[in-house]
Amino acid sequence: MRFVRTKENGLPENYLELHYDKLDEETEEYITRIDRSLAHIEGSCDDMRVTVPVSDVLYFESVDRKTFAYTDSRTVEFRDSLRDLLDKFGDVGFVRISKSAVVNVYKIDHLQGDMNMRAIIFLKNGEKLIMNRGYRKEFFEMIEKMKERNKA
Amino acid sequence: MKLINRRNFISIVCISFTLVVCGKLLTEKIMGFTDKHYTENIFTCLAFSVLITSVLAAHYYLQRFPLIPVLIGQYAVIVGAVVGLVKIVDAIAGTETNAMWQMILSVTIPYIFSAVLYYISFFKQVRKANSILSQL
Repeated sequence: MRFVRTKENGLPENYLELHYDKLDEETEEYITRIDRSLAHIEGSCDDMRVTVPVSDVLYFESVDRKTFAYTDSRTVEFRDSLRDLLDKFGDVGFVRISKSAVVNVYKIDHLQGDMNMRAIIFLKNGEKLIMNRGYRKEFFEMIEKMKERNKA
Repeated sequence: MKLINRRNFISIVCISFTLVVCGKLLTEKIMGFTDKHYTENIFTCLAFSVLITSVLAAHYYLQRFPLIPVLIGQYAVIVGAVVGLVKIVDAIAGTETNAMWQMILSVTIPYIFSAVLYYISFFKQVRKANSILSQL
């Protein structure tokens, strides 16, 4: 499968277009992944129903059995549990960093280790999250996998 | 780090025991030292291997607690076990006057060394993760 990237001036919105004769396994996998990363999730914010693109979510957090998604501009409450969200979006960059939080790897600016060997995650919007030692292995395996995927 | 469980516990003890004994024999050979308490020391090495493997196995289950108290707690348990062991051996067969101090040192030095290695590997892992994240 080839990837053609074209710069076009004056486009109102960036778009992806797929050309195929038969849908093989590799292409289907890419479609699934793109579908998921372009997916929207529905929740409530200030008693209003809202839809948020998954790619905008910085992290999900579970507080008092409620699940919240944090974006740059708002906090949206969901019915899904963190486990469900991970099942749906685990392969588009979401990984668990503690019992109550799932982070979008693409929104991480950098990590910093502390004396208790917990990693402090600095997000691109300046927020800080703590990754517990128990979830470190899962996190590092995930970013290694993403690195390999990017290489391919 | 690989999880030490019931299935692989014995094999890990065996491997670490073999390595400790090989290290002991090599050091003795290099220094030209003859161990007068060979049998007792071999069993001490076995006891140490079981103890250290148990401590490492427990470490996985203590991950939700802050590391420094965990390290201090584990060290206290090890030193407690060593002191108890030396007291028992002393009561049964008698030990050298500075046996207690030597045994505590024998535990402390590898423990600190391992903790430092663990820290270094963690910070290396963080640095590697940062380099991957900058490429994503």
